[in-house]
Amino acid sequence: MADPTTTQPRAARADADRTTEAERATGPARATAPANENYGTEPAESLFDLHRRGRIAAEYPRVRTLLAGLAGADLVRAGQLLSRVPAGDVLAAHPGTPAATVAITGHSTVSPVVPALTAELARHGVLLRPWLGDFDSYVFDLSDPASDLYASGATVTTCLLDPTIVFDAVPTPWGPQDVEHALGEKISLLEQLVAAFEQHSSGTLVLNTIPLPRIYPAQLVGLRSRAQLGRVWREANARLLGLVERHRSLAVVDLEPVIGDGVAVREPRLAAYTKTQLSPGLLAAYAREAAHLIRATIGKTKKCLVLDLDNTVWGGVLGDDGLEGIEVSESYRGEAFRSFQKVAKQIGSQGVLLAAVSKNDAEPVHRALTEHPQMTLRNADFVRVVANWGPKHDNLRTLADDLNLNVDSFVFADDSAYERGLVKRELPDVTVLALGTDPATHLVALLTDGWFDALAVTDEDRARTGMYRRELARREVRQNFTSIEDYLADLAIEVTLAPAGPGQYDRVSQTTLRTNQFNLTAERLAPAQIQARAEDPAGLVLTIHSRDRFGDNGMVGAVLAHTEGPRLVIDNFLLSCRVFSRGIEQSCLSALLRHAATSGLAEAIGRYRPTAKNRKVADFYPANGFTALAEPGAGPPPEPLAEPDESTVFRHDLASVAEIPPYLAMTAHLEGAPQ
Amino acid sequence: MTSIDNFLTLVNAEIGLNLGKEDIGRDFDQLAGWDSLHLLTLLTALEQATGHSVSMPDVLEATNLEDIYDLAVGT
Repeated sequence: MADPTTTQPRAARADADRTTEAERATGPARATAPANENYGTEPAESLFDLHRRGRIAAEYPRVRTLLAGLAGADLVRAGQLLSRVPAGDVLAAHPGTPAATVAITGHSTVSPVVPALTAELARHGVLLRPWLGDFDSYVFDLSDPASDLYASGATVTTCLLDPTIVFDAVPTPWGPQDVEHALGEKISLLEQLVAAFEQHSSGTLVLNTIPLPRIYPAQLVGLRSRAQLGRVWREANARLLGLVERHRSLAVVDLEPVIGDGVAVREPRLAAYTKTQLSPGLLAAYAREAAHLIRATIGKTKKCLVLDLDNTVWGGVLGDDGLEGIEVSESYRGEAFRSFQKVAKQIGSQGVLLAAVSKNDAEPVHRALTEHPQMTLRNADFVRVVANWGPKHDNLRTLADDLNLNVDSFVFADDSAYERGLVKRELPDVTVLALGTDPATHLVALLTDGWFDALAVTDEDRARTGMYRRELARREVRQNFTSIEDYLADLAIEVTLAPAGPGQYDRVSQTTLRTNQFNLTAERLAPAQIQARAEDPAGLVLTIHSRDRFGDNGMVGAVLAHTEGPRLVIDNFLLSCRVFSRGIEQSCLSALLRHAATSGLAEAIGRYRPTAKNRKVADFYPANGFTALAEPGAGPPPEPLAEPDESTVFRHDLASVAEIPPYLAMTAHLEGAPQ
Repeated sequence: MTSIDNFLTLVNAEIGLNLGKEDIGRDFDQLAGWDSLHLLTLLTALEQATGHSVSMPDVLEATNLEDIYDLAVGT
């Protein structure tokens, strides 16, 4: 039987005022849903059908695809169904499913956020393992090192802040000074809790700005008092947002822009009768932001925005309308396309690779992007522009190969439902954004989800497109050499291995989050964890920089290690996929091992933990003189690496360390490293 | 909301349970997987399906699904 709520028209309610607020509180408005394909009942019914047959855990890989077609109330309902399925059941059926333990605490009732967060994470293929704090237990949860919150080992901890955290602490009647006083105390308390969190957890803490619903200022009849309340409230939120500058483990979700888009802060009945102070709509929006943050902290990074061109980047069809006929400015539609181009350029300037895949002849596209006087996006903004008549999924696959990326790091935006459908069918791991027929909504479709959200943007990010373009140029040069050695010698590679400075902790963290292929353990580390390792006298956080005749590659990798008595333990070794197989990895490993040997250490230990994407480095240690100590499943590996996983542990006796290849100039600054 | 069958379908769809007719009169604390927060999800869905508001305090005081059905259809 069909779900009655989707087969019956939404009827008018008796109380018109409440209807408005309740509808605004229900969830993201349908008008903001052009990014979701197949909106309607079909995916919702398929999901309900799975639920009814008790098959959600068994068929969990299908869930992500079904959710991609849901928005608003349907997505909220899907969250209800999914949150009933224990994470353990899904993991038992599909052991490889990425999962995130998330602790949720706060001042008022926080459990209603669980279904929303379950659904939002499932959209990324990530399973939620929630840990829920008791009502109003956030101070205890975060301040007591022995609390269950810390025992949960959560990767991300969210502490939901709502206005009653302040208004529960003011007298009746109250004035703006009372609120200012309470806010001052609460923000100071939160700062102490953040500091405690950093001591007791290696994860990420998520706070939010505290929204001020109208029911509070409306209680002040003097407009001057109301202005004062508005000022002290915003100053407090500004203090809260400022905390991220001093605390690397902290993220603060700013709810003000969400509310500005028309999401109600509270639902009066839920607030009054159930102490749920934030509306379901706001919790859903919060969950969306938090899910992207969680996605970023567990290394599921989107790296490339691939745009169609005709009626996506410009109005009209280049092949039919010609260079002069396409719309990119100075008309209603032209200005809308220009706005979208500006947003794409903005995103591309922050480390997201831009590419174009278009069914067009190459030459006119090249001319449009170089010669059109009003074009905002130019050839140089794209890492590659693919214009041909081949199927887009083939072009996307080739692009991924050339960039050495996986297609699951692609976000593809196209106005053609046909093209989107084909890409979805052929490459289900690509995130597909549906652009509508009205270009004014293009940028909403692109920005509704924070697909490219990252904990921090680094200098390397800003230069990334140029680096990938140079890499594509290297590939073309390489095809002219008969032997790989000649090519490598011609590149004139210079490598520097040196301890990371404080200014590089964000970048090293990001390397652990973004790197999937040359990542020996896939251990994801937040900036604060990098800092802790770097500051540990026995710890070693090394960065790898490389340059060659095409230019500076910037930081291309990192080595994390520590010493334990006579042993060097290499915790992880990471290298950007841009610079594989040029001897950089061997050279850095040799330099490190040589340093260990001359420092009087007796052995080096390394670990490889297989993941779906790092198979190509399974032989990294044995190929470089290490011998396997324990096969997976052959009993517990030796301390200090005892972990119940599929790791293989390798040992090097430091007697004979491989030479650094002659074609490469290696500089290692390891003098200050622990010995 | 025309029948108890429709009501039950809505309950199961909204809350993610697999309840049958025999569960309608059962106390909530005897329903496997029941959580008091489900009442709120259900209330929102009922208001959308019926087009009129249902008293939240009354729903929160209900002891079984039958009470809620009565509140929703206004008997």
